[in-house]
Amino acid sequence: MNDSRTFNWSGWLALALLLFMWEYGSRLNPKLQLYIPSISQILVTLGQLISSGQVTAHLLITLRRFVEGYLLAAVVGVSVGVILGYFRFAHSLLEMLIEFLRPMPSVAIIPVAILLLGIGDSMITAVTVYASMWPILVNTIDGVRYIERTLVDTGRTFGLSRPRILWHVILPAASRYIVTGLRVSLSIALILVTTAEMIVGSQGLGFFILDEERSLHSSAMYAGIILVALLGYCLNRLFLLLENRGMKWRRGMIAREAI
Amino acid sequence: MRDSRLNGFLFLLGLLGVWELVAEAGWVNPLIVPPFSKILSSFFSLIESGQIPWQILASLKRSVVGYLLAAAIFIPLGVLMGLFDAFHRGLEVIIEMLRPIPPPVVVPVAMLFFGLEDEMKIFVICFSCAWPILLNTIDGVRNIDRVLLDTARTFGLSRQRIMWRVIVPACSPQIMTGLRVSLPIMLILVVISEMVGSTDGIGYFILDSQRRFKVAQMYAGMLALAILGYGLNQLFNLLSRLLLPWHERKVD
Repeated sequence: MNDSRTFNWSGWLALALLLFMWEYGSRLNPKLQLYIPSISQILVTLGQLISSGQVTAHLLITLRRFVEGYLLAAVVGVSVGVILGYFRFAHSLLEMLIEFLRPMPSVAIIPVAILLLGIGDSMITAVTVYASMWPILVNTIDGVRYIERTLVDTGRTFGLSRPRILWHVILPAASRYIVTGLRVSLSIALILVTTAEMIVGSQGLGFFILDEERSLHSSAMYAGIILVALLGYCLNRLFLLLENRGMKWRRGMIAREAI
Repeated sequence: MRDSRLNGFLFLLGLLGVWELVAEAGWVNPLIVPPFSKILSSFFSLIESGQIPWQILASLKRSVVGYLLAAAIFIPLGVLMGLFDAFHRGLEVIIEMLRPIPPPVVVPVAMLFFGLEDEMKIFVICFSCAWPILLNTIDGVRNIDRVLLDTARTFGLSRQRIMWRVIVPACSPQIMTGLRVSLPIMLILVVISEMVGSTDGIGYFILDSQRRFKVAQMYAGMLALAILGYGLNQLFNLLSRLLLPWHERKVD
């Protein structure tokens, strides 16, 4: 995050210098070009790949899998999280199970998923959901658990029905935690989608990048990486945008109800 | 509270029991979900034969090197960036460009340079653990209470002493946070890099077992991995308590 309004001259200059050194370092060492092609080469390749539509298909496939996995994880994570956060008994039952499953890296679930679902889209979506669900779930549970009882009791005193308490009291109070969980899961979901694509080889940017590496098309590989980084960046910005909108709406709601 | 742990434990046992029954009865395809008892016996025989310890060691070897390398490079860098704003601004743009790269896609690049050797995984892990360590270190240094620094200067402490007696202890808790967050990242990435390009390691073992349809073995590997993750966490907490005894941490 930029903590100053002034343009970061030194930062961009440093980047320019680095790119410059890369470009000429690569040109002066033709032997290195297989491993480190020059920036201009990479950008040209990127342009070619986009205009020929070769890489666009992969990008869209990855994006689709990401969206499916992430949204499903969000729905499951928040719903189960609210339930477990609210009902102590249910949480106490599952707490140990969660404790045991958490330390296992979620990528280890990929081979199991391959057995169960093959090597197609559903497998990739499934592992994405599994992995992305955890931060959302845990954060939602925490957020709901630590809501002051007073808030909920006040709601009940006012005779609010369960659904209304959920929507007007619980979710707003836990929203900060939930949003944190959602933000963390954003990166995790992208990681899982690209990883699964690399391991199973069924289209998508992850597969594309690995495939180009295998064919020693390093420019195309780097181009793919640039694309995936851009994708991640855009998704993050989008999230921040929605988060700000959501917070404004939340603040507005609180303000309205205070009057 | 003990009550709830007992509940959880019993529930877990209950689930395992159901799993066992369901698998034995053949309601789920035993080729895909073998009975838990079978997984356990596979697990123990793999330990006995030394397979699992060997694979775990292979994974640990490369992951710890990558992790420590990341710490050795990025903690000092973070301290410098935290102390000297000009330095921070200079590197800021480059870092912001590199950060959005999802760590797994670095694996093919590493493979290009290092093949399937350990260096490949070390590179990937170092890259992936860099950001939490770096950013937390920068934060920790920047958020040092000015009063501490001013007090130290009032007492006429030399630059060196201020560094080691004030700055380092003051930002250590935050650095620890960065290191703690990087621990699961290290584990995830070593598994990923082994699944994509390796000939040994626990990640490779799990995937390979699946490919050979040695399903019980696959689950046994996952179990070993979960235990490894748990063990590393506990070890880290222990070290953290030893190194920073004065700092009370919120229990997870």
